[in-house]
Amino acid sequence: MEGHIYGYNLPISEKTKVVPWEEKVRVVEEVKADFRYKEYIYGCLNCGVCTASCPSNRFFDYSPREIVQRFLEDDVEVLYDMMHEYIWACSQCFTCWIRCPFVNNPGGLVAIMREVAVRNAFEATKDLLKPYGRVLLKVMTTGNQLSADMLQPDFFPDWGPKMADNMENLRAKRLAIPFDVGKSVKTAWEVSLETAVEMYTIWRETGIFEMLEKLDPNLYNVIMDIVEENEERYQELTEED
Amino acid sequence: MAHGGGFGHNSPGGLLRYPEKEPFALKEYNSHYDHIFELMEELEHKGEILIHRITPEHKPVEVFTRTGRIKTIPTNKLWHHKSCGQCGNIPGYPAAIFWFMNKFGLDYLNEPHQTSCTAWNYHGSGTSNPVALAAVWLRNMHQAWKTGYYPLIHCGTSFGSYKETREQLIFNKELRDAVRPILKKLGRLTEDGRIVIPQEVVHYSEWVHAVRYQIAKLYESEGKSKGIDISSVRVAIHNACHTYKMIADDYPYDPEVFEGQRPAASTAVVQALGAQVVDYSTWFDCCGFGFRHILTEREFTRSFAIQRKLKVIYEEVKADLIVTHDTGCTTTFEKNQWIGKAHGMYYPVAVMSDVMFAALACGAHPFKIIQLYWNCSSYEPLLEKMGITNWRELKKEWEDAVNHIAQLEKAGKYDELMEFFKEYDLYEPYSKTASGKPKASATANIPLFKS
Repeated sequence: MEGHIYGYNLPISEKTKVVPWEEKVRVVEEVKADFRYKEYIYGCLNCGVCTASCPSNRFFDYSPREIVQRFLEDDVEVLYDMMHEYIWACSQCFTCWIRCPFVNNPGGLVAIMREVAVRNAFEATKDLLKPYGRVLLKVMTTGNQLSADMLQPDFFPDWGPKMADNMENLRAKRLAIPFDVGKSVKTAWEVSLETAVEMYTIWRETGIFEMLEKLDPNLYNVIMDIVEENEERYQELTEED
Repeated sequence: MAHGGGFGHNSPGGLLRYPEKEPFALKEYNSHYDHIFELMEELEHKGEILIHRITPEHKPVEVFTRTGRIKTIPTNKLWHHKSCGQCGNIPGYPAAIFWFMNKFGLDYLNEPHQTSCTAWNYHGSGTSNPVALAAVWLRNMHQAWKTGYYPLIHCGTSFGSYKETREQLIFNKELRDAVRPILKKLGRLTEDGRIVIPQEVVHYSEWVHAVRYQIAKLYESEGKSKGIDISSVRVAIHNACHTYKMIADDYPYDPEVFEGQRPAASTAVVQALGAQVVDYSTWFDCCGFGFRHILTEREFTRSFAIQRKLKVIYEEVKADLIVTHDTGCTTTFEKNQWIGKAHGMYYPVAVMSDVMFAALACGAHPFKIIQLYWNCSSYEPLLEKMGITNWRELKKEWEDAVNHIAQLEKAGKYDELMEFFKEYDLYEPYSKTASGKPKASATANIPLFKS
């Protein structure tokens, strides 16, 4: 299908067109099978309040109304196509959710779609998340998503010249905070080893490491090296006790 | 379900309560959310969960949510669920929270046995799932319960994610059944196999809201005596999406703040302090943070922040300051001003969270505590307007301390460094952990910050 009479007029990508229909159905059904799906979608007035207040809509070809409408119409072709790049424009602010008179949650639907896209390791998803790798490395291995040492000025030239000043004597600056805050520049706070090991168990038990392996095998290997090393260290410490 | 049975209704266990009359004009929203409190009581009665209750030792304060429900905010004996974005990128944010807690002589626990909520990662990359998010939340909540301290969530995304996760858990047996074996493996169930769920999910901005009159009193007694006057400071408020748009029925509203029609936290403390809250047309818009976008779609983040917020705030109301109450918004507004110069769109305005501004007003050191050196946007005109005209000397004092520490460390003079810290005005408790021997409590008679 090329476009839609209600407004979704982005051309379906060639890559989507060649995917077997059964595969597209399978992927869309995987989204709809999520227990949250029924809690995120009700009737839709097609009023467009969600899209009118959507920040991403102002700068991207993205409309939360289209997400809801395409699910309600079971438009498999478009939904499958959306799951490659379209959904990644969403800012996850949930303005759509609070504004919808029927309490639909398009941002929530996008969260499920993204999760399914990662789980199925779509090529577009892999490319899109490549620059996000260092955040994944940090969160998977330390249980912290951000640390002071991630804010290198080279990564953030648009934040201005003060970024370089900020990073000078960073460790001393953090030591000079008179509270136990931000003392570790490699993590947001000192995360105890047993806490990190508990987190690894959660990742393992819930299939997150598997998701990661499919998404980025190289990153996965780096992460697992650190994880296994920390688990061994914890094991040794436990045995010593 | 509308209003859980109407005004004046109390659930059998007292978790769900409404006032006798509507506190402000109410529209009937998706108040089925309030029903989770009755379901929590039922699940506890069946022995499936244990509710970590707010008790008198937590010095509770009552506020209203937008459905008129009475939400209980604990103000004492708190377990700090820190924010990775705040500790990593806005160190003055948690420092200001701790500064107030010490000033008020409150008991708290700041320990290393906490993980991030991991929700920033989820909203940015989709690399997680509801079972993992629930396991992380319940693991942290169990840790807080085990220590006897009540969890206070610093980050807005953690707060929003935890509220949503709790709703999912209470309404979905399949999620509870999926997460229970993981918690068992972690040793994170009660001895009789129950899941620990807190009575209320509480954000730090709700704590600030609950203690706003104490803060105002401190401003009168200590801020003003230092020559600080914020009565002419024009403040634009930015409410964070994940605090009031995610699970919208669980955040404070107050008849004194826009007649109960906008979120109350942050605005109320600025009003209580006597600064000027200035309204602007895009108050409801997000900041442009976008989770993934601030890192990998930066042109979107800065375009949105500049065009929809900074430009509007600058041109419509000429604010001196944007007050925020979350990690991502503070960073987005604060870091995306300089680049505007390249396009003739430079709208300078100071940016900081409610608790940082309140602490500054109450006399906290702008650099040692509020850590303003970290800001990329211009904060100096605000300090001048507040009457903190000695900010240059205070900055030099901070820089001298940092340089001294750096030199000693580079020279490997660790004994001297330790001696320096003995004299340096560190707060107590410097750190207190659940597993180690606790250090002195903040309620003990320990001198506070000397500067």
